[in-house]
Amino acid sequence: MNTLFRTTESPFLQYLNQPSTSDRRRRISSLPVRIGLGRSTRTGLAKTTTRMMASSSSAATETVGREVLKKGIADFYDESSGIWEDIWGDHMHHGFYNPDVQASISDHRSAQIRMIEESLSFAGVPEDSLKKPKSIVDVGCGIGGSSRYLARKYGAQCQGITLSPVQAQRAQALAAAQGLADKVSFQVADALQQPFPDGQFDLVWSMESGEHMPDKKKFVSELARVAAPGATIIMVTWCHRDLSPSEDSLKPEEEKLLNKICDAYYLPAWCSAADYVKLLQSLSLQDIKAADWSQYVAPFWPAVIRSALTWKGLTSLLRSGWKTMKGALAMPLMIEGYQKDLIKFAIITCRKPK
Amino acid sequence: MRLLTHNMLSCNIKGVTNGFPLRLEVEKFVEKEVDFSAEFLRNIFPKIEWKALVDAARSMGYAELPDEADSSMLDSDDFLKKFHHALLELHLEEGALICPETGRRFPVNKGIPNMLLHEDEV
Repeated sequence: MNTLFRTTESPFLQYLNQPSTSDRRRRISSLPVRIGLGRSTRTGLAKTTTRMMASSSSAATETVGREVLKKGIADFYDESSGIWEDIWGDHMHHGFYNPDVQASISDHRSAQIRMIEESLSFAGVPEDSLKKPKSIVDVGCGIGGSSRYLARKYGAQCQGITLSPVQAQRAQALAAAQGLADKVSFQVADALQQPFPDGQFDLVWSMESGEHMPDKKKFVSELARVAAPGATIIMVTWCHRDLSPSEDSLKPEEEKLLNKICDAYYLPAWCSAADYVKLLQSLSLQDIKAADWSQYVAPFWPAVIRSALTWKGLTSLLRSGWKTMKGALAMPLMIEGYQKDLIKFAIITCRKPK
Repeated sequence: MRLLTHNMLSCNIKGVTNGFPLRLEVEKFVEKEVDFSAEFLRNIFPKIEWKALVDAARSMGYAELPDEADSSMLDSDDFLKKFHHALLELHLEEGALICPETGRRFPVNKGIPNMLLHEDEV
């Protein structure tokens, strides 16, 4: 693998050497659920969520908000999975590209595979037959692209969890079709309450699912809980930029942009990579590493937009449903977020102590 | 859902201490042929909760597994074949997984368990 990327000095790595500071008033332990702040043509949903936002401090309201969010996520992926798979294949994540490259449509599949390999490499997952992972959990598995890839790569058992019953079914069917039914299996489950006993997995994998988690602390705790001693935990996720020491929050116009994106993609409030690092530190996890890979994913969203604007893309979108279309319309917002250095594509990895 | 998966699932309702193993409620199960690998079985054996596997297999009508097992039995072809059959070839398609402590049912549809909790169980 390309060692150049791993050793590139990143603004995130500085946090690893700092003692943990608690002078920020921003609490990351339980981030508020923020949905529906953008305008929605579903007036019922908009009214409900506006009412929820007005009294968002009450725990009961937050619980309702969480349930709405989970259902929203499940429905969104139930509706969108088919069209994504049709056009992009079974990996529902960004590709990893050489910087400043204009990628053609045929490059994207291999870029998505490269994203998996670069992540494993960054985390230092062993490949020799004794130390390689034997049991893997894919948290937020989509239609199982990563699960099948990792199971095949390591000859390991892989469990995938997703909120979407449609995705779980599809993931299972693809596994059977690819002769992997004895290696991978999928469950409908919540990443915040993983249905596994402690310490089950040698590799805990979360590829672009962290952004959906309304409680980052619980999410990370569960990742750590199901990790076996010595296991590697890998999170690749969308974050907002780190706040500078003098900042308490993002600028209002930055929050506004993120809120629009949250609405379209069923995302709760964002956090930064530095926030994740702090959470991992608080759980006494070791070898914590973080990097900003935004420059390596830059060609992705323009490519997705181009694919949506093809005849096949447009007709598929119209057939899919409103949630999918709203997601498609929000794509330029993602590009805007990256261009403004507000949205970061981050990888954060660590190890569970032995 | 094959029994290898069942052997790794537990009830995660808040406050539950004995959420494993889940009992099986079998409405429909199928037997699927899976390629046999002695090496795989030998590697996975130490991770298997044997009694849970025996009970789960029995609830699907397969009673050939010994009540107890140790690694010396992995030399026996006959044992490995039975182990293989129970672990990988018995699939629960429709039914439920029941929490041993609370009795809560987690439905299994088209072979996929739904382990999502309700708001009050979190």
